[in-house]
Amino acid sequence: MPGFDFSNYNRNAALHARGVPLPKATSTGTTIVGCIFDNGVVIAADTRATSGPIVADKNCEKLHYISPNIWCAGAGTAADTEFTTALISSNLELHALSTGRTPRVVTVMTLLKQHLFRYQGHIGAYLVVAGVDPTGIGLFTVHAHGSTDKLPYVTMGSGSLAAMAVFESTWKRDCTKEEAIKVCSEAILAGIFNDLGSGSNVDVCVIEKDKPTQLLRNYFKPNERVKKERDYKFARGTTAVLNEKVITKEEIGRYVTVHELSSGSDSDSLVVVEKMDVDEV
Amino acid sequence: MDTLLAQYTQSPYASEGLTSEEQNDYTETLPPLSLKFALPPVSRPSAFLRAATDDYSNPNCPIKIAHGTTTLAFRFKGGIIVATDSRATAGNWIASQTVKKVIEINPMLLGTMAGGAADCQYWLAYLGIQCRLHELRHKRRISVAAASKILANLVYSYKGMGLSMGTMITGVTPEEGPALYYIDSDGTRLSGNLFCVGSGQTFAYGVLDALYKYDLEDDEALELGKRSILAATHRDAYSGGYINLYHVKEDGWVKHGFMDTNPIFWQTKLEKGEFSNVTSELI
Amino acid sequence: MASIMNAGGLPSDQPGYSFSNASAPSESSGPRQHAFNPYTDNGGSTLGVTGADFAILAGDTRSTSGYNINTRYAPKLFRIGDDGDSSSRIVLSVVGFAADGNALKERLDAIVKMYKYQHGKPMSVKACAQRLSTILYQKRFFPYYVHAILGGLDDDGKGALYSYDPVGSYEREQCRAAGAAASLIMPFLDNQVNYKNQYIPASGTGHELQPRAIESLPKEDVIGLVKDAFTSATERHIEVGDGLQMLIITKDGIEEIYTPLKRD
Repeated sequence: MPGFDFSNYNRNAALHARGVPLPKATSTGTTIVGCIFDNGVVIAADTRATSGPIVADKNCEKLHYISPNIWCAGAGTAADTEFTTALISSNLELHALSTGRTPRVVTVMTLLKQHLFRYQGHIGAYLVVAGVDPTGIGLFTVHAHGSTDKLPYVTMGSGSLAAMAVFESTWKRDCTKEEAIKVCSEAILAGIFNDLGSGSNVDVCVIEKDKPTQLLRNYFKPNERVKKERDYKFARGTTAVLNEKVITKEEIGRYVTVHELSSGSDSDSLVVVEKMDVDEV
Repeated sequence: MDTLLAQYTQSPYASEGLTSEEQNDYTETLPPLSLKFALPPVSRPSAFLRAATDDYSNPNCPIKIAHGTTTLAFRFKGGIIVATDSRATAGNWIASQTVKKVIEINPMLLGTMAGGAADCQYWLAYLGIQCRLHELRHKRRISVAAASKILANLVYSYKGMGLSMGTMITGVTPEEGPALYYIDSDGTRLSGNLFCVGSGQTFAYGVLDALYKYDLEDDEALELGKRSILAATHRDAYSGGYINLYHVKEDGWVKHGFMDTNPIFWQTKLEKGEFSNVTSELI
Repeated sequence: MASIMNAGGLPSDQPGYSFSNASAPSESSGPRQHAFNPYTDNGGSTLGVTGADFAILAGDTRSTSGYNINTRYAPKLFRIGDDGDSSSRIVLSVVGFAADGNALKERLDAIVKMYKYQHGKPMSVKACAQRLSTILYQKRFFPYYVHAILGGLDDDGKGALYSYDPVGSYEREQCRAAGAAASLIMPFLDNQVNYKNQYIPASGTGHELQPRAIESLPKEDVIGLVKDAFTSATERHIEVGDGLQMLIITKDGIEEIYTPLKRD
C-alpha cells in the first residue's frame, strides 16, 4: 500500500531511545458501542477527543461514513480511525462500482482487518463496523492488530467496560429500534460519566433495512457548558501596543497570495465554507 | 514460662494506632529544624530519590522540584553587592516569578539560593540557628568563614544523598572585612571576590567580568549587579521575574529593591541604547 | 486472539497519559532492582486567593486513578487544628497523591492542636506555615508527593496564603493554583488577580502606558473567579470535575460552599 513514508522511522526510533518523547497523537480515548435490532443495527459514540489529560475537542465526530448503509465507529488514534475509514470507504466505492453490487459489511470488515493486520497494530484504529446489506444485518469489531469479532452487541474504547456493564444488565434479544437506540445511548452515557477518556455528547447512527440511514448527531447533550459568573470583556486598549503598521487591501498581495472571489451579490457563486461551532456571545 | 510467654505476647490492640516513637513526634515539640529525615524503605535511597524527583535524568519523574536561577555576589570598595533573579521552574513550568532568593540569615549575614529551593531555605534557616547559638555560646558574632564552614560541612555529610544547592554566604565582620564564600552541595567551599551561580551564571559573568573593578562607587556597583542579572534574565529561559538587590556593609545589609525586569529591560534598551539587537519595529 | 482482546480495552497500550503507567522506567543498562512505586497521581486541582480580610481555598472533589474515578467526593481541603471550639482559622489544601496528602494533614493537624494545648493559644498562620515547611522537608529523601497550599488570616487580620513544593520550599503569595490543571488556572489568576498583561487604556502611548495597579478584590468577586476557574478547568481537563469545595476564611470563621461541577 503506497502512502506511508518511513524515511524518518530510524531517526525517530533512535531519538526515542535517547529519551526524546514521541509527539502526542490526539487519541479519542473513547466509548463506542453497537447493537443489532430486529430490522437493523444501531451504533453510538461519545464526542470527547483527548490529548493526554487535556480535552482536545469537546464535540468531535467518531461515527464515520463507509457507504450509505455501512457506518463505522472509531476509537484509538484519531487520525488513524479517520484515514483508515476514509481509505476503506474509497476502496469500497470502487469495488461496488466494478462489481455493480451493493457493498457488504463483511467486505468492509475484511478490508479493514487485512489493512490493519499488515501494519501490525502500528495503525491505532479500533473500530465498530455496522450496516445492512443484501445478506442481512452486520455488526463487527475490528482491533488495531487485525482481529475481529461478530456479536449482537459490542463496546470498544477506554469506556468499553462501563458501556458493556449496561449491555450485560439491560440488553434483550429481538429488541425494537427504539429499544436498541435506548440501550446504546445509555451505554454511551455510562462511558461519558464513568470513564475519564469519554465525555460530552452522544452521537447515534441508525441503519435500518430498506430505509435511509439516520445520523442522530448529538442525540443527547447532557454536558452543556455552564454560564460564567463574571464578565471577562477587556476594555479596548488594555493590551500594550508598542508599534503598529497598517496594511491596506491594495498592498496585501505583497504578503499573501490573494484569490479574488466573486462578490456576494450573486448567490449562485457564493463559496460555502464549513460552519464552525462558535459559542454565542 | 510466664515471662517467656509475656515476651512474645502482646495485647490485641497494641499494634494499632501510633507507635510510641510516632506519638513522641506528635506530642513532644521536636526541634523544628532537626536532622531526623525519613528514608524510603529501599536499599539505595538516593537512586529512588533520583528516579522520583530528578527531572534532568528522568523527564517523566512524578515530583518536580523547583530549580533554575541566576544569582551573583561580588566584593568591592564599599562592601558586597548581592543580586538575584526571582524565577522558580519545575521542569518547563514557571512555578513562581516572585521567589526571594536572597535569604536573610540574620541582620548581618546574607545567603543566596540556587538549585533546590527547599534545600536552600531549610539549610540556611538551620545555619541561622547555628549562628545564633554561636553568638550565645561565645558572646560574639560568628565570622563569615565559620558560618560558611558550618554549611559546607553539613552538606558534605549529606553528599550523594541528592541535595542540590549552590549558595553564597556574605557578610562583613570587623576581623574579616567584607567576606564572600561560595558553597555547593558537592561540598565545595571557596572564598572569592566575585561569583555567579545558577543556570544563568555564564550570562551574568559576561557582563560582570567586563565591567567589574574593585574601586566601584556604591551606586555604580548596585547598577552593575542589576545589569548583570538583567543580562541573564534576557538570555536564560530559567531565569526571570524580578531583580532582588542587596548591599552588605559593616553595619549589616541594606535592601535596594525587588524590581520587575520588564520595565528595566526597556529602560536599558531605550535610554542607554543597549540590547540593540532587540527590535520593536515591524518589518 | 484473546491476548489482543485485552489490549482492546484501551485505545492504545500507552495512552500518552500525564504519568507513566509502566511499572518502572525501562532502562536497558544497569542493575535492575525490584520496582518500588509508592506514588499514585490522584488528579484534581486546588487554588487559593487572598483578599484584604479573607482567604479562599478551593479544590475539586474528584479522585482519579488512570482513566477511572475513585470517588466523586473526596475533599482536598482540611481545617487544621479544628477541635470543635471553632477557634481554628487555618485551612490546608493538598493535591497530588491523596494518601500522602492525608498523612500530611494528620501530622500538621496533630501538631497545631498540641501547640494550642501546650501554649493555651491557637498557632498563628505564619508559624504554622513554617512548621509545614519543616514537616515536608523531614521527608526530603522520601518526599510527600503533594503540592500544598495553606491559607488563613495573619496577625493583622489580612488574608494569608502560603504555597509549597513537595519538599517544603514555600512562599507567601496573593494567589496560587496547584495540581493537574494548575497550568490552565494559574495564567487566568495572574491576569485576573494580579492584572498581569493588563494596562490602563489611554494612559500613555508605547512604553508610557501604565500597568493596571493591583487592588485587593472583594470576596464576592473572588468567589466568582474561583468558580469560573474551576468550570473552565472542568471543560478542558479530564481529571477535574464532579464538585467544587470552597472554604472561605474570615474573622467570623470558616464558611464552606459546595457547588456541583460537570461529571463527565
